[in-house]
Amino acid sequence: MLRQRPFLVEALTAAGLIAVPFVLPYLGFTPATVNRILVWGLFGIGFDILFGFTGLLSFGQSAFFGTGGMVAAYLLTVLDYPDVFSAVFVGMIAAAVVGYLVGLIALRRTGIYFAMITVAIAEVFYFVEFNPLAAYTGGENGLPGVPTPTLHLGFTTLKFNTDKSLYIVLAVCYFVGMVVALRIVRSPVGAVLRAIRDNPLRAAAVGHNIHSYKLTSFVIAAAYAGFAGGLLGIMQGFMPPDAFTFDTSGQLVIQTAIGGTGALFGPLVGATVWLYLSDFLQTTLHLGATWKLVLGVVFVLLVCFLRHGIIGGIYDIYRLATGGSAAKAKAGDGTPAPAMTAEEERSATHAALAEAPAAMPMAARRRTGDEFVGPILEATALTKRYGGLLANSDIDFSVKRGERRGIIGPNGAGKTTFFKILTCEIEPTSGRIVFDGRDITGMSVTDVCQLGLTKSYQVNQLFARLTVRENLTISALAELRGKFRLDMFRSVPKIRGLAEQVEHTLALVDLKDRADVPVAALAYGEKRRLEVGLALASSPSLLLLDEPLAGMSPQERVEMVKLLKSISRGRTMIIIDHDMDSLFELVERVTVLQEGRVLVEGTPDEIKGNAAVQEAYLGGVVAA
Amino acid sequence: MTKPDVTKNGGPAADGLSRRNLLRQAAATGAGIGAFSMGGAGNIQFIPAALAQNEPPMGTWPAGSQGPTVSIGATVPLTGTYAASGSDESKGMQLAVDHINEGHPLIKKIAPKVTKGLLGKQVKLLVADSAAKPNEAVQAQQTFINQNKIILMTGSTSSAVAVALNHFAEREKVLYVTAITGSNDTTGKDCVRYSFRQNFYGQTAAAAIGPVLLKQFGKNRKSAFMTPDYTYGHTVTKSVNDYLTQHGGWTMVTNQVSPLGTQDFSQYLTNIANSGAEFLLNVNWGRDAVLSIQQAKQFGIIPKMTLIVPYQTPFLAKEAGPELTAGVYAATDFWWTLEDKYPLAKMFVEAFDKKYGYKPEWGANNSYMQFAAWARMVSEAGSFYPPDIIKQYEKGETFPSTVGDVHFRPEDHQAVHPVIIVRGKKPSDMKNKEDYWEVLEVLPGAPLMQTPDAFGCKLGAYT
Amino acid sequence: MINWANFISQCFNGLVLGALLALISSGLTIIYGTLGVLNLAHGAMFMLGGYAGWVAYSYTGSFIVAVIAGSMFVLVVGVVTERVIIRSFYARTPEDQLLVTFGLGIVFVETVRFFFGSLSKMVPPPPGLVGITPLGFMFYPTYRLALLAIVAAALLALYVVLYRTRIGMIVRAGIEDAVMVGSLGIDVYKVFMLVFGIGAMAAGFAGIVNAPVVSIAPDVGEAILVQTFVVVVIGGVGSFPGAVLGGLIAGEIISITSMFDPGYSYVMLFVAMTLVLVLRPYGLLGTAGRE
Repeated sequence: MLRQRPFLVEALTAAGLIAVPFVLPYLGFTPATVNRILVWGLFGIGFDILFGFTGLLSFGQSAFFGTGGMVAAYLLTVLDYPDVFSAVFVGMIAAAVVGYLVGLIALRRTGIYFAMITVAIAEVFYFVEFNPLAAYTGGENGLPGVPTPTLHLGFTTLKFNTDKSLYIVLAVCYFVGMVVALRIVRSPVGAVLRAIRDNPLRAAAVGHNIHSYKLTSFVIAAAYAGFAGGLLGIMQGFMPPDAFTFDTSGQLVIQTAIGGTGALFGPLVGATVWLYLSDFLQTTLHLGATWKLVLGVVFVLLVCFLRHGIIGGIYDIYRLATGGSAAKAKAGDGTPAPAMTAEEERSATHAALAEAPAAMPMAARRRTGDEFVGPILEATALTKRYGGLLANSDIDFSVKRGERRGIIGPNGAGKTTFFKILTCEIEPTSGRIVFDGRDITGMSVTDVCQLGLTKSYQVNQLFARLTVRENLTISALAELRGKFRLDMFRSVPKIRGLAEQVEHTLALVDLKDRADVPVAALAYGEKRRLEVGLALASSPSLLLLDEPLAGMSPQERVEMVKLLKSISRGRTMIIIDHDMDSLFELVERVTVLQEGRVLVEGTPDEIKGNAAVQEAYLGGVVAA
Repeated sequence: MTKPDVTKNGGPAADGLSRRNLLRQAAATGAGIGAFSMGGAGNIQFIPAALAQNEPPMGTWPAGSQGPTVSIGATVPLTGTYAASGSDESKGMQLAVDHINEGHPLIKKIAPKVTKGLLGKQVKLLVADSAAKPNEAVQAQQTFINQNKIILMTGSTSSAVAVALNHFAEREKVLYVTAITGSNDTTGKDCVRYSFRQNFYGQTAAAAIGPVLLKQFGKNRKSAFMTPDYTYGHTVTKSVNDYLTQHGGWTMVTNQVSPLGTQDFSQYLTNIANSGAEFLLNVNWGRDAVLSIQQAKQFGIIPKMTLIVPYQTPFLAKEAGPELTAGVYAATDFWWTLEDKYPLAKMFVEAFDKKYGYKPEWGANNSYMQFAAWARMVSEAGSFYPPDIIKQYEKGETFPSTVGDVHFRPEDHQAVHPVIIVRGKKPSDMKNKEDYWEVLEVLPGAPLMQTPDAFGCKLGAYT
Repeated sequence: MINWANFISQCFNGLVLGALLALISSGLTIIYGTLGVLNLAHGAMFMLGGYAGWVAYSYTGSFIVAVIAGSMFVLVVGVVTERVIIRSFYARTPEDQLLVTFGLGIVFVETVRFFFGSLSKMVPPPPGLVGITPLGFMFYPTYRLALLAIVAAALLALYVVLYRTRIGMIVRAGIEDAVMVGSLGIDVYKVFMLVFGIGAMAAGFAGIVNAPVVSIAPDVGEAILVQTFVVVVIGGVGSFPGAVLGGLIAGEIISITSMFDPGYSYVMLFVAMTLVLVLRPYGLLGTAGRE
C-alpha cells in the first residue's frame, strides 16, 4: 500500500509538516512538545524498520540514541566543533558503527533472547556512560551547553535558536529521514526484511542471507537512533544521561506499539499521543505522577484489543468502510471440489497430463558452470544420528541431470530428514553430498539455494502477511540479486527481469488472478501451489518437493500433478509423496526408503512388482 | 513561495525568520511603553525602565512581565533520592513568594523597595518535579517558558541539574537562581551570566570544616570517602581531601564512588570496613546519605570509624536518628538555632514554623533567601529586563540576610556567605525534638573562598 | 582495598546478593520455561511483594506476617494476571507477549506510586535479627546473614516443589516439551496459572525479605529485572539449576569487581553475559530448546 502512487506519501508528509505549526498550537501543543514529538518520531522510524518490518523487537535502542547524542554533544561542547549539522551526522555514524558491533552479538539469537540481550547490552552502555566514560559524557551531569544550529548561506546566516525556528530544522530532518526510510522499505532490501519478519526460515531457504539483512536493519535502526539523539541534545541545549536509560527504550517501544508498526508513521503518532496526553494529564488535569498510570493502562488495553496500534486500527476501519479488500472478494473460493473415486481421479490425471501446460516453465539456470556432465546430485554414505536414533543410515543416492525421481517409504522411513540433509538444512553426521560437481556438505541452506538447489516444504512455509506476488518476488529477488546486496535505494519494480520472472511463475502455478491477495486469504490448494511456486521462482536446476500433494482434494491433486509435469522440463526434480498412483505417473525412477536405509531403487513398474516393497508397506499399514 | 522571492530574501526559512523578527521588534516597542506606564501605576517613581524600553525582546522578556503577574518556574525533586529536601525547598520558595506578595516585614528588611508584589505585579510560583534529573528539569523549564513565560527559574538540589539549567538559562536568556547545589563547577567552570548561587559549596565547605577537623583530630589521619558519582560529589570530595592532605597530612585510603540513588551500599561499605580508615567522610546526600549511614552502622563501621559530613543534607538527623549523628561534625549553610544570633533568622524560622509546623533546614532557608535577594535586585533595578537585573547583582552591594550581611561576587555570581560548622547533639542533650545540631562556628565566607577565576569561570554575554 | 580480608568479605556479599538473584531468576525462568512467556512484569512482582509486606507490617508490626502477606499477595496477583490477561496471549506472537507484560509492569509500578507515593519505605528486620555478627574476617549485619539462610531455604522449597511433586514433574516436562504435556490429558491451563503464580511469588517473597536490607520504592524492580535477565541468559533460559548457578555467578562478579572499582561491577556483569553468549549460546546449563 506504500507503493502504488509514487511520491504521494512524501508529498503528504511534507504538507503535514508544513501545516503543523499553524494547526497544532490550537490543539494545545506547545512548540517544545511538537519538537519533542518529531525527535521521537525520527527515532521511531528506524525502530519501525527494525521491529515493524524485520520483526526484531529490541529493548535496547537507548544505547544508540545516547551514543549518537553524546558523540554529537561532545564534539559541540567539549571540542568546540563549529558545525552543528555535521556533528549530528558524525554522531549518527558513530551510532551506526556501534549498532553494527552490538548487532554482531545480539543477532546471534532471535525472539525473546534477542530482546533480553538488547536490554542487557543497553545497560552496559548506561553503566559505561556513567563510569568509565564519565570524563567524556559528563556522567550523571550529561553535557550541557549544546549550541543551536546556524546555517551560513554566504549572503546571510540563519540562526535556529528558538523553539519555532528549531521546528524548521527538525521538520526538515524528519522529512529527510522519512524519505530515506520510504526508499529503503520500497527497495529489495525492504522486501527481504519483511520476508524475514514473516518467515525467517523460508527467507533463508529461498536464498537470502538473513543474518546480513538483519544486521543491516539493526544498523539502520541504530543510525536513526543516533541521528535523533543528536537532535535531542540540540533541541534542549543539553544532552542528558537519561538518554541511555531503560526508560528511553521502553518509551520508544510503547510509542511504536501505540502508534502502530509497519507504516513508519506509527512512532510519530504514538509519540504525539503519549507526549500530548502526558502534557494534558499533568498540566491541565493536574494528575501529577498519575499520568503514567493512566498511560500504562491505555497501553495495556491497546495491546490487548487493538493489535496493530492506532494506524492499524484506522486502516482496518478504512477497509471495512470501503467494503472489504480484494482478499474478501474471493474468500469463498476455497470450497473443495466434489469427491472423486479413485478411478475417476486416475483418468482425470491422464486427461490433465495430456493437455498442454498453461505456461512454459522458465529455464532452470545452472550456476555452477557448464563443464560438469556427471550426475547432478550424488550423495555418498549419508548418515544422520539423533542421539541413539539413526534417522538416516549409510544412504547412497544419485540423480541424473533432467531426471524425475520419486522417493517413497512408510512413515518414519527418514524421507524428510533425508531431504533436509540434501538441502543442507541439517548437517549429516557423516557422508558427503555433491551437487553439480561441487561438494556442498556443510554449506548453508542459503548458499545451496543460490547454487540452484531448493525445496518446497511438506508444511507450507509462506510469508503470511505478504501477497502472492510479493511472496514470489522475495524468491525471485534471491536469484536476481544474490544472497546479500545493499541496494537500499533501488526501487523493486526497476529490477530487470524481476517482473517477468514473477509473472511467469504466477502463470505457471495458476495464481495470476490471485496475485494481489494476501497469503492468509488463500485456499489451502492455492497455498500449496504457492509453496511450489516459491521454490520455483528462484529457477532452481534441482527442485526437491516434499509431499506436494499432501492434504489436497482429488481435484487439486490433478492440478498439482499437471503443474509438476509442466515444470519438470529442463529441470531435475526429486519428489516425496504418499500418493503412489500420482507419483508413479510423474517420475521416471523411484527410490524406496525404509528405516533410514535405501530398500530398493528402480522404475515405477519394477517397484510396483517388488515383493520387498509390498512387504514394507504392508508392515507399514499394520503398524499404522 | 515563488522563485524570485527565494533569491531576493534568502530562502523561505530566512524570510519566515526575518518576518518574525520584525513582528517581535514591533511587539517589544509596544511592550516597552506598556511596562513604563504600568510602572507608573505601580507607584514606583524612579524606575529606570527607560533603560530597557528600547531593547529588542529576549527570552521571555517582555512577554513574561506584561500581565498583572509574573511567574517563577521551580523544578525541584519531589520523587527519588532527593525528594525530602526538594519538598522542603519548595516550601521555602512558596514562603518567599507569599512574603513578596504581601510585603512582609522580613522581605522588606532584605529588599526595602518591595511593596505588595514586585514592581506592581504579583509573583506566582510554579512547581514541577525534576526527580533530581537534569533532563526532566530542562524539559519542565522549557514547558514553563513556553506556556507561562516565566521570568525566573530555580530549583536544582542536584548539581547536575544546576549545571544543566545554568547553560539552559544562558541559552534561553531567562534568569536562574540555583537553589541547593554544592559543586564547585556551578559558579566555576560551568558558570554563566544568567545564573546566581547563594549557598555554600565544596571549596568553602572544605575550607570551613578542614581547620576544625585538624584542630579536633590532629594531623596524619586516615580517611575513607563516600562520594556520589557526579559533579557535586567529585568536587566536594576533592576540595575536602585536598585541604586535609595539604594542611594536615591526612591520607585518603579509599574513595567509594556510588551512583546517585544507590540502594544497597554493602559492597562499598565492605571495602571501607577493610580499608583501615579512621574517619568516614560521607559526601552522599539526600536519601543516599541516610541509607549509607544507616548501613554503615549495620556493618559496624560506625562507631568504629568517626563519621564526618562535609556537606550536610537537610533532615539527616531526623531521618537517620540523632543516635547516629551524635558527635558528627558537619558543614552547613544554616541551622535554625542561629535565630538566637540573627534577628532576621528568628523572623524567618518563626514565619516558616507557623506556616508549615516544623523548623526549616538550610534548603528552605536558601530557597527563601535567594528569592529575597532576587526581589531586592529587581526592585532596586526597577526593571524586569534581565541584563538590568544581572547588572544590579553585579554591583556587589551588601544586603542583610538571615546569617548577617552578604553580597554577590560580580566575577562568578557566587554569594559571599558564611559557612556554619555544627556538631550533632546526643539525644540526651537535645532541648527539644528538633534540637539536633549545635552550632560551633559561623565562619565568614570571604576568607574561605577561592579567587573568582580559580575554577575557570568565564561569564557569557548579557544579550 | 585489595587484600584477603576484603576479598573474603566481598565473596560473602556476593553470596548473599547471588542467592537473592537466584531466587528471583528462578521465578522468571520457570514461567518462561513452562509458558513460553517472558514476564517483563517480573521486576514489578518483586516490588509488589515488598509493598504488600510493608502494608502488612505497618498494620501488625510482625515481620513473619509481612513475609507471608507479601508472598501470598503476589501469588494471587500472579494467578489473576495469568487468568485475565496472559492466557489470551499464548496464541499471540512473542513480541505481543513482551509488550503486554511490559505494560503490566508499568501499571503495577504506577499503581503503587499512586497509593504510596515515591518516597521509600522501610521494613525493619525482626527484633532477633538486628545487630552485627562477627564472622572472624569481618563484621556482618545479622539480618543479611539470616537473609542468606532464608533465601536458601526458599530455593530448597522451590527445588522440592519442582523435583518432588507431581506438579513439578509436569512443569519440568513442560519445559522439555510443551506439546507433549498438552497431549497427556493434563489441564495445561490450570498448570500454567499455578506456575505463573509460583514464579511471581518467588519474586514477591524476595521483595519482602530484601526490604529490611534496602528500603523499597516503586521503581526497585526495574534494576532487578535487568539483572535477572543476565542471570537467566548466563544460566540458560528455562533452567532452574541454571538460574541458581547464574544468580551466584552474577552476585560474585558484582561483588568481587566492587573490590577493585564498584563503578565497573555492572559492566563486568554484562561482559560476562556476552562471553557466555559467544561461547555457549544457550547458557551454561541451557539446551537448544525454546527460542
